[in-house]
Amino acid sequence: MLFSSITFLYYFIPCVVLIYFLVPKRLKNGVLLLSSLFFYAWGEPKYLLLMLISIFQGYLFGRLIEKKRHTPWAKIFVLMSIFFSLGTLAYYKYVDFFITNFNHVFGLSIPLLRITLPIGISFYTFQMLSYIIDVYKEDVQAQKSLLNLATYITMFPQLIAGPIVRYSDIEKQLNNRHHSIEDIALGLRLFLVGLSKKILLANVLGELVVIFKSTQQTTVLFYWLYAIAFTLQIYFDFSGYSDMAIGLGHIFGFHFPKNFDYPYISKSITEFWRRWHISLGSWFRDYLYIPLGGNRVSKGRWLFNILIVWMATGFWHGANWNFILWGLFFAILLMIEKLWLLPYLKKYSVISHIYVLLLITVSFMIFDATSLSEIVSALQSMFHLSSIPLFNDASIYYLKSYFLIFMIAIIASTPIPKKIALYIEEKHPTWTCILEPLFFLGLLVICTAYLVDGSFNPFLYFRF
Amino acid sequence: MKQRHYILITILSLWIVTFTSWQIIMPSQDVSLSERRSLAKFPSLTTKTLVSGQFMSSFETYTLDQFPARDTFRALKSWMSLHLLHQKDSNLLFTKGKYISKIDYPLNESSIDYVTQRFQFLYNQYFSSHDMNIYLSIIPDKNYFMSSDILKPDYQRLVQMMQEKMNFSQYIDLFPLLKLSDYYYTDTHWKQENLIDIARYIADEMNVSLNYTYETKLVEHPFYGVYRGQLALPDFSDQFYYLYHSDFDDYRVFDYETQKTIPVYDFEKLNGSDFYEFFLSGSKSLLTIENPHAKTSKELIVFRDSFGSSLIPLLCEGYAKVTAIDIRYLSPHILDQFITFENQDILFLYSTLVLNHSETIK
Repeated sequence: MLFSSITFLYYFIPCVVLIYFLVPKRLKNGVLLLSSLFFYAWGEPKYLLLMLISIFQGYLFGRLIEKKRHTPWAKIFVLMSIFFSLGTLAYYKYVDFFITNFNHVFGLSIPLLRITLPIGISFYTFQMLSYIIDVYKEDVQAQKSLLNLATYITMFPQLIAGPIVRYSDIEKQLNNRHHSIEDIALGLRLFLVGLSKKILLANVLGELVVIFKSTQQTTVLFYWLYAIAFTLQIYFDFSGYSDMAIGLGHIFGFHFPKNFDYPYISKSITEFWRRWHISLGSWFRDYLYIPLGGNRVSKGRWLFNILIVWMATGFWHGANWNFILWGLFFAILLMIEKLWLLPYLKKYSVISHIYVLLLITVSFMIFDATSLSEIVSALQSMFHLSSIPLFNDASIYYLKSYFLIFMIAIIASTPIPKKIALYIEEKHPTWTCILEPLFFLGLLVICTAYLVDGSFNPFLYFRF
Repeated sequence: MKQRHYILITILSLWIVTFTSWQIIMPSQDVSLSERRSLAKFPSLTTKTLVSGQFMSSFETYTLDQFPARDTFRALKSWMSLHLLHQKDSNLLFTKGKYISKIDYPLNESSIDYVTQRFQFLYNQYFSSHDMNIYLSIIPDKNYFMSSDILKPDYQRLVQMMQEKMNFSQYIDLFPLLKLSDYYYTDTHWKQENLIDIARYIADEMNVSLNYTYETKLVEHPFYGVYRGQLALPDFSDQFYYLYHSDFDDYRVFDYETQKTIPVYDFEKLNGSDFYEFFLSGSKSLLTIENPHAKTSKELIVFRDSFGSSLIPLLCEGYAKVTAIDIRYLSPHILDQFITFENQDILFLYSTLVLNHSETIK
């Protein structure tokens, strides 16, 4: 079920909220669990069992690790659980990638398994890994209630597209959380902002991406329109989803970590990754980069660690070479920055912004490509190194047609709207009291209109 | 300040509860008259549909199709796209003054190749062994006449390809004779009341003379064309006129699908969503129109799309019998089961819209 669907907005969420707040406190986690299972089964009935098995092994190994703490068994159990989680992920997400490359290298023709990727598997697997590793490291206690652990893993706001909420983030809230009018209202605001980002910006920009991909008459201008549209689309798509997830969390009394912090205002790639998909970046930092030694090792080893972490980050996004290349692209940029460039970037603000935006746009061309040749072709075309014309009627038409949307999207990707809202709230609190509900109602009405019109509505991060 | 939160929660909750209740209580609609399509009904709930996920996907469609005040929401979306965000089109539909039209871009050359192959088949199969006069006429869609800032197919190339690939036909060029006002504001089609000169020109080119004086009659209700329904904006409508001559009452129109005689103008269609079906009852695969007042024994066979429905009655004056064939609904391979091809005039009369999307041609 998509958050941005009539089913979710007008059926699922009102029912769940109503039941959730009607039942006594001790049943609230049960309501959340059941509604999360229903939510998952709605879109992916056949993989529900897989998720439940994954939860059960996590619960079992978590308890066993705690029971056998300070014995070699604890290590064996944590390794078994990690093996199960990564094995499941490897099988369902990467097996065809491995077979394809194996066939290619050895000249074999092993048939592909063509397994449908279970929705959200990358997210819930990483949550389970963080839980089991944290239990092993004694950062958290093993959850004694299977229901509570299942509630954490399956919680529908963050189940299928993150943010990757760590068990330690919400351990206390699982057992005892506070509900308030302020939290619910904040949750609604965040949800509607996210929904609007998704429907009114990401989907509309996505239509231009689809138009570009279906055209035979490409031009340099059209490539740039596509590149900018996709760069903005992926941000509003994913950050919109994260806002909705965090907002829903607030409604149910959970405080999920921030996942995006205006990444496109960054002045370096290093800063960009502190602002983009923060929960994934910090996951890899804590569970891969630091265990590998982080930067407290020799320079060579440090650079190797960066390379491994970013290859893994790329590979997490998809079973294709373009994702690995995307990760390596960032690894190289980060190495260059850390070794040499960062001090210069700090000095020249305008240049550093241009540098970041240009490289991020290029990176998303790599990200969105389906083959290596497509990457080369896209980059050649963008920089007019191929024989395509600079522009044509179609590219001029779409530039005019999407100009205002680009402007709105660019401004919306900066903190400017938030600053304006805070200014109005501070200077005119009475106005805010009246205008704010109307503003958010307006957003809901317009989003509903776009949904009812049957507009383009994919979620890019559902494939991860 | 707590009041602020209560107001927000109350307003949003009221909105959602109202629309959810409305959708549950409101009886399901069978069709959307504005969009001219049937709407999804509540899906059947069985173990099989649940396990396969079919129930869920059908339910999503149902909630979209049956959402209360759906056309109002669709209108809001169109207004947002076209007027607030200044997009050039909304779902490819755009407005220019009082006109609504749809982007048809670019020229699909493979579609032209395909349609001309089908026409070549007709020629080889039925016409080549007879002494027949074969004509080709192409009707530009109204975008041709609109300002240059919209995306248009390469009409010149389209006509050139058609002429080159149908060198067995004589081309009758309608492009210079038509203008934007010959088309409805809200529909794809041309207006019959503006076609008298067009019909005479085509007839002249086919060595036939047309002299009828027609009475122009107005249908009282406003006409909402297909684009208006798709765009959902309320400020657009047309007046619907038709041309009448008393001889039409004596024409014998035979519909091979129903094996019944039908009128030239089907007044019952004026109660439906598509007034254009008023002309020769709309989409019909095979019709013959016999003119008992004809001063000739000449016959005409027209291969046509829906644009032909309004023009063909005007051509009937010059022929004893006109056969109208729509090979989108009837396979060209079986035409000789219904028609004896001898020495009839043949007219291929197609709009650029169908030629550029010829996948429906059999």
